[in-house]
Amino acid sequence: MNVMSMLDKILRLSLALLMTAMVGSVVWQVLSRYLFVVPAAWTEELARFLLIWIGMLGSAYAYRQGSHLGIDLLANKFEPPGKQRLHSIVHIVCLLFATGVLVVGGGSLVSMTWELKQYSAAMALPIAYVYSVIPASGVLISLYAADAIVNGSKGQES
Amino acid sequence: MEVVILILVFIVLFSIGVPIAFSIGAASICAFLFAVDFMPAVTTVAQRMAGGLNSFALLAIPLFILSGQLMAQGGIARRLIDLSKAFIGMFPGGLAFVNIISCMLFGSISGSAVASTSAVGGFMIPEMKRDGFDGDFSAALTATASSTGLVIPPSNILIIYAVASGGVSIAALFVAGYLPGLLMGLALMIVAAGYARKHNMPRGARVPLKEAARRAMAAVPSLLLVVIVIGGILGGVFTATEAGGIAVVYSLILAVVVYREVKPSELVDVLIKSAETTAIVMFLIGTSIAMSWLLAYENVPAEMASLLLDVTDNPLVLFLLINLFLLAIGIFMDMTPAVLIFTPIFLPVAVELGMSPLHFGIMLILNLTIGLCTPPVGSILFVSCAVAKTSIGNIVRPMVPMYVALIMALLLVTYVPEISESLPRYFGLID
Repeated sequence: MNVMSMLDKILRLSLALLMTAMVGSVVWQVLSRYLFVVPAAWTEELARFLLIWIGMLGSAYAYRQGSHLGIDLLANKFEPPGKQRLHSIVHIVCLLFATGVLVVGGGSLVSMTWELKQYSAAMALPIAYVYSVIPASGVLISLYAADAIVNGSKGQES
Repeated sequence: MEVVILILVFIVLFSIGVPIAFSIGAASICAFLFAVDFMPAVTTVAQRMAGGLNSFALLAIPLFILSGQLMAQGGIARRLIDLSKAFIGMFPGGLAFVNIISCMLFGSISGSAVASTSAVGGFMIPEMKRDGFDGDFSAALTATASSTGLVIPPSNILIIYAVASGGVSIAALFVAGYLPGLLMGLALMIVAAGYARKHNMPRGARVPLKEAARRAMAAVPSLLLVVIVIGGILGGVFTATEAGGIAVVYSLILAVVVYREVKPSELVDVLIKSAETTAIVMFLIGTSIAMSWLLAYENVPAEMASLLLDVTDNPLVLFLLINLFLLAIGIFMDMTPAVLIFTPIFLPVAVELGMSPLHFGIMLILNLTIGLCTPPVGSILFVSCAVAKTSIGNIVRPMVPMYVALIMALLLVTYVPEISESLPRYFGLID
């Protein structure tokens, strides 16, 4: 099994686990309010943080699947060689965005919140941990984009 | 200057096929780089994205997506179709009405227009063809009827609008969706009735009362999901997000244990699929929030408002112009990005002219559902054509009267605020 398909597998598993945990914490919030009158304070916070993780990691997964919303009207007008070149341009744009904003910008956000010692209100979790998923998903998207440029892909479908 | 860059870069990237979320993000960063240095620019955009996703209200979206995925099963569609047949199938051209009602019910439960098209259409299109309906007409009707379900709560696009508008209550939006959604269904039924008259369509079989009752019992558990969610929110038992959590638990029990439509082994795939769908929406929300922050920083909404008000300050004309613009946008752009991009730009103008944010949201979403059914872009169209084994070019013709009917419904919703506001007011959700 090559590295890329192993990465896909890990990503899929993580998403399933994160999703389960998120549903669990919201359901626990409702239940705890009826069971203990005062709802647990951490459930809401945990669910919000899990959503950020699902959103960012899931975006990398969706990128791999080519399922982000877009239009491919122009690409369909080209013959295969031109089409492939256009797809490469599209992946290069995404690679630049993922590297610049998610990896560099997200990385600087993580180090900033780390240095400022920002902790979450209910769970006292370092915010840097929560935000670390931004550069991580940036790396994944860049990797997937580079893979698509080098090895070719079906491209982004609408 | 920055705004011009933003718009130009976005249009170029979007048209060459860069995913919308990335087009928005890349265009924002290009524009932002004109104002500040590289590091502050990328850090701010990353921070806005993260901050935008850090919201309890948004959590309702993955939960309703997951519950919808669990409920979007053929067997559940079948039960709703059987129920609709018992009550409305005996009219001339009854199957067309059955199709519309089933799509509305299934759309509400599954929250996905594409799922309605494939699940309800998968049964109804072949059946309508057997009954003598034109295949292209059947495909067109399924596509438009499925889009109606997006306005009927629980609906993710209404939650996305709630977030984009910065604070319209989700409960109020949910309740507000009912009458406009019914109006759209009614508009399509008028078209179907016209078709049935013109082609002298046969009546469906009358279902005996006992059988009708049995079918109702079979469909009740799926419909109960909506009752629990909306009832719970209105009764103040739980928030919209918590209702989403309850909906997941309920659908899990119903789909896996009671109906056995979903095998336990398929659950992991359902979870991953839901996470993927969620992430597509979240990434769009993240970059759109970064962009709308930039637009606000550049004072665009206020300038846009004064620009539009310079053109005309007649609300009737301006609402018409906004609708025409959005219909044109809807031809090329999916609903979620359109709501995220244009809410911050047009909402201030609409409010300035006396339209409530609630009313504007319903108008915006109804407008964009029509765009979902217009070629060349639109997954509903592709799915319904695939089911009916026809091409998009063929279904445009039978769709024309449906567009007209839906645009009539849109105009009514635009100019009669009571259609959107009376139910939320009755429940004390707005003043």
